[in-house]
Amino acid sequence: MSCDRVQDLLAGYAENDLSAEDRTLVESHCRECPDCAALLAALREADTALAGFPEVEPGRALLERLYAVSTESRPRRRVFSFFLRPSLQPVFAAAAVLMTILSLYFFNPDRKAFDRAVVRQFHRGVSRIEKLYAGAGAVTDSLGAYAGSVFTSLKAINPLGKNKE
Amino acid sequence: MLVDLFSKRIFNLAHQFAGNSQEAEDLTQDIFIKLYRSLPKYDFGRNFAAWFLTLAKNHLIDEYRRTKWEKRNRDDFDDRLRVAAAETGDPEANLAADEAKRTLWESLNLLPAETRMAVILKEIQGRKYEEVAEIMSLPVGTVKSRINRGRLQLARFILSAKERSHEL
Repeated sequence: MSCDRVQDLLAGYAENDLSAEDRTLVESHCRECPDCAALLAALREADTALAGFPEVEPGRALLERLYAVSTESRPRRRVFSFFLRPSLQPVFAAAAVLMTILSLYFFNPDRKAFDRAVVRQFHRGVSRIEKLYAGAGAVTDSLGAYAGSVFTSLKAINPLGKNKE
Repeated sequence: MLVDLFSKRIFNLAHQFAGNSQEAEDLTQDIFIKLYRSLPKYDFGRNFAAWFLTLAKNHLIDEYRRTKWEKRNRDDFDDRLRVAAAETGDPEANLAADEAKRTLWESLNLLPAETRMAVILKEIQGRKYEEVAEIMSLPVGTVKSRINRGRLQLARFILSAKERSHEL
C-alpha cells in the first residue's frame, strides 16, 4: 500500500474512525514505514496539543466596549411602525381628503358668505320638503274625500230598483 | 445578556483564528455590532448559538480575505496559552507538549481560512462534527475531510519543526 493512501487514512485512524480492514492496513504499513509512523505520532501530538489550548478570558476593556455596543447598536424600536402598515393606507387617504375639505372650509376668506349660502340652501331644502309634505297631505285629503263620496254613491244605488217605502 | 453569554466564546474564536489579541478584540466588537444589526433577521427555528457562530465565522473569514492577515504575525505563544501544559506532572512531557503547541499556534495561519476555522471549532473548541457542519453551513462529510486534511497538515508542521530543531 502506498504512503499517500495510508496518510489519507491516518487522521481517521487516530480518531478510531476506520473500518477493521483499514485499521489493519495502516498498522501493518506503519510497522514497516518510519515516515508514516512518525507522521502518525505527530498527528496524535497535534491532536493532544490542539485540545489543550486554554480558553483566554476577554479583557475588562473589551467587555466594556461590548456592553457599550449592546446599548448603541441595537436596532431602535420603531415607534411609528404600527402606522406604516399598508393596511392603514386607505384610512390615511380618506383622512387626507377630509383634511383638505376642512381646510378649504376653515381657511376660506368668504367663509361667512359660504355659511349664509349653506344656511339658505338648507332652509330652501327644508321648505321644499314641507311643501312636498303638505302636497302629500292634500292628496291624502282629496283621496279621502273621493273615497267618502264613492262610498256615499254606492250606498245610494238601489240594485233591486225598489222604492225605500 | 448576549455579551455575558457569548463574549468569551467569540473572543476565543477570533483570537484562535486571527492569532492576535488586539485584532481579536476589534473583531469581537465588529461581530457584536453585526449581531445587533442582524438580530431582526434571526429565524427563531434555528439554534441561536449556531446562528451567531455562523455569523462570527463569516465575518472572520471575510475580514481575513479582505485584509490578508496571514501576512501578519500571530501573537507570541505566551503564558496565557502555555498555562494548561504547565499544570501536568511530567516536566519533559510538558516541554514537548509546549513545543508542539507553540508550533501549532504559529502554523495555524498557514492553513486555508476555511480549514483553519473548521480545525479550531472541532479540535481546539471540542465541538462535534455535526455542530461544526452547522456553523460552517457545509455537509458533515466535507467538514470531516477538511478537518482531517488540516490535522495532517499541522502534523507535518510539527515534524518539520522537529527536524529543524534536530539539525540545529
